[in-house]
Amino acid sequence: MHIEDGILSPLAWGSWYAVTTGFIIPGVREIKKKVQENLSYKPFLAMTGVAVFVISAMHLPVPVTGSCSHPCGTPLAAIVVGPFATAVISAIVLFFQAIFLGHGGITTIGANDFSMGIVGGISGYLSWKLLRSLRSPLWLAAGAAGFVGDIATYLTSSFELALSLHGHVPLLKQWMIFFMGYGPTQLPLAIAEAVFTASVLQVMVNRRPDLLPGIKLSQKSNREVNTNAIGN
Amino acid sequence: MPSATKKETEKEQFKWFDSYTKVMLAVMFVILLFIFGAGKYMDSHKMAAGGTDDLVNNLASAVTHTEHHPFVDLPGDAQVGAFSVANFFAGLIVGHHWEKLFGKSKSEEQSPEVE
Repeated sequence: MHIEDGILSPLAWGSWYAVTTGFIIPGVREIKKKVQENLSYKPFLAMTGVAVFVISAMHLPVPVTGSCSHPCGTPLAAIVVGPFATAVISAIVLFFQAIFLGHGGITTIGANDFSMGIVGGISGYLSWKLLRSLRSPLWLAAGAAGFVGDIATYLTSSFELALSLHGHVPLLKQWMIFFMGYGPTQLPLAIAEAVFTASVLQVMVNRRPDLLPGIKLSQKSNREVNTNAIGN
Repeated sequence: MPSATKKETEKEQFKWFDSYTKVMLAVMFVILLFIFGAGKYMDSHKMAAGGTDDLVNNLASAVTHTEHHPFVDLPGDAQVGAFSVANFFAGLIVGHHWEKLFGKSKSEEQSPEVE
């Protein structure tokens, strides 16, 4: 999903910068608010950013297709630090990947952040919230978030390319052409990201529930509900 | 006897290979084994093993008839050098602030009974 410099027109990458800014601003506000509420949020956010940097640079080989791709890490980040904060840390991650690893580009940070940080993060977060509201087990909700966030990232990335470059070809057809470049390799990696997201979140909840106050609260609520149900 | 107790205490304090470390190392080795195995398989079957990002960027370049390239692209190993320099100093700075970032706060130290 790392679109490089020189592919999108200035109008296209400028527009994606503008759209992304619309999510970065509330993200910065979310971070400032949470930092005031919880002093350990800032270093935790930094560590989450490092995790997103490493995960989204971790190219794994898929022997079936003969190519490599990487997971995103943003669905997990959105669950643990918040979806808008994820948009901010993803923009920083993409900047460092562009200058140090040659992944993506400077002009395409807006487009890449929109696909990975915003759509990947928010779609994963919404899947997580939806499944948790339906009382799904934590591992299932987290796994679904990882899978949905991963696939949504690559669907968005190919849509960004198709939107700019489809020309006389129907948009849907061009979109699927670009997505098929990612899809076969990305599908097993999305499953791996689901397993990874579920495992990491389960371990974090078991070992350091203090870092995840929202999740701890919901578990406590569930216990209370169960206790009340037994009592009644 | 007291010295033995002290040794036991020290041994307990420096138990590096606890269950967490063992599990993490096992997971790491499984993933590395998969990567090396997959790499060997792809090499033996003459597969390029390139990234899908590059594949799709090339596909897009074929549409635009322009070259795609990172805006900032250091030549050769200079990129590894720049990344290492940034990591080195980031490590020093984070190490310098480690206690402030991840150590116990003063209020926690003063009242250990408060969780």
